[in-house]
Amino acid sequence: MSATGHNSPTESVHFRPRRKTRSRELTSITLNLAPMVDVVFLLLIFFVSTTTLKRAEGVLKAQLPKQGNLADEIAMPITPIIVHLTQTGAGPNDYALRLESFVNQPTTFNELRDQLADIQTLPGFDNQTPVVLKAGDNVAWDHVVGSWNAAVAAGCKHVSFGGE
Amino acid sequence: MAHKFKYHPRPPLTFNMAPMVDVVFLLIIFFVLVSTFATAEHMPLDLPDPDDSQAFNEIVEDRVIINVQLADPDAPATSPVDYYVGPSRAESLEAVSQRLAARKRMLPELKVIIRADKRVRYAKVREVMEVVAENDIQMMNLAAIAGGHGGQH
Repeated sequence: MSATGHNSPTESVHFRPRRKTRSRELTSITLNLAPMVDVVFLLLIFFVSTTTLKRAEGVLKAQLPKQGNLADEIAMPITPIIVHLTQTGAGPNDYALRLESFVNQPTTFNELRDQLADIQTLPGFDNQTPVVLKAGDNVAWDHVVGSWNAAVAAGCKHVSFGGE
Repeated sequence: MAHKFKYHPRPPLTFNMAPMVDVVFLLIIFFVLVSTFATAEHMPLDLPDPDDSQAFNEIVEDRVIINVQLADPDAPATSPVDYYVGPSRAESLEAVSQRLAARKRMLPELKVIIRADKRVRYAKVREVMEVVAENDIQMMNLAAIAGGHGGQH
C-alpha cells in the first residue's frame, strides 16, 4: 500500500481466505449442577424427615441362677448385702429403700450407691460381696433398674434379684 | 465530537451453587453419621433412665430381645402387659417360653435382653425372668437408657 493509501498496480493484494474449518464455536465447558442438587436435596429431606433424635439405650448385665428360684445360690458363709425396695405410693418417686442389717438407710438411689460403696470398705465386705435386690411385686420397673444401676455404679460385681 | 462508547457486553448472571452444595453435603454427612436405623426388635418403649446410668451401649451377639409393654399405654401401670419376642406379635408367656426353648436348642450361648417399659410392675418382669431361668438361660441383660460416660464394661 502506498503512502497515499491507494494500491499501486504493482503491489499485490494478499487476500487470505478464511481457513476452511468446521464451523464450530467453542463453548465453555460447565458442569450442570442442577440434577445433583435435586438429588442431594431429596436425600437431605429424607434424612431430616426420618431422623428422630433420641437417647441411646444400653444394657445392664445380669446373671440368672441355673434353676427356677432367682438369686438363692449365694454360697455360705458369705453374708450378702440385701437391699429391700418397696413402692410406697402411686407417684413416680414413691419408693423406699432399706439395707438389711445396716443402721444408715438410703432414701435415694444415689445414696444407695454411696452407701454400698462405703460398705465395701468395711471388714468382711468387698466388691465381690453379693448384693441381693429384693423388690416388691408392685414396684415400678424404673425403680428396680435404678437400684440395680446404683449397685453396679458402686462397683458391686455380683448383683442378683431375690424374692421379697 | 461524539464520544465513542465502547460496548462491553455484561457477563451473564449466574447463580453460584457451589457453596450451597457444600453446605447441603455437610448436612447429609451429618445425618448419615448420626442416624442409627431402628430395628424392628427395638419397639418404642419408655425405658428406665437411671441417674448415673451404667448401661453400656454394646452389640450383644446371639440374643433374644423380649419387650414388655403395657397392653394399653394409657392405662394405669398395674394393668395387663403384653410380651413381644423381637418383632413378633404379642404373645403369652408360654409362647415366649417355647420360643426361648427353640432358640436355646440352636444357640446354646443364648442371651436375653429384657426391654420393659419403666412403668411396668416388677412382678410382670419377674415372670419373664423366671421363664428365662427355666430355659436354662443365664445371661440376661436389662435395657435402660445408656449413660453419657459409657457405662459399665
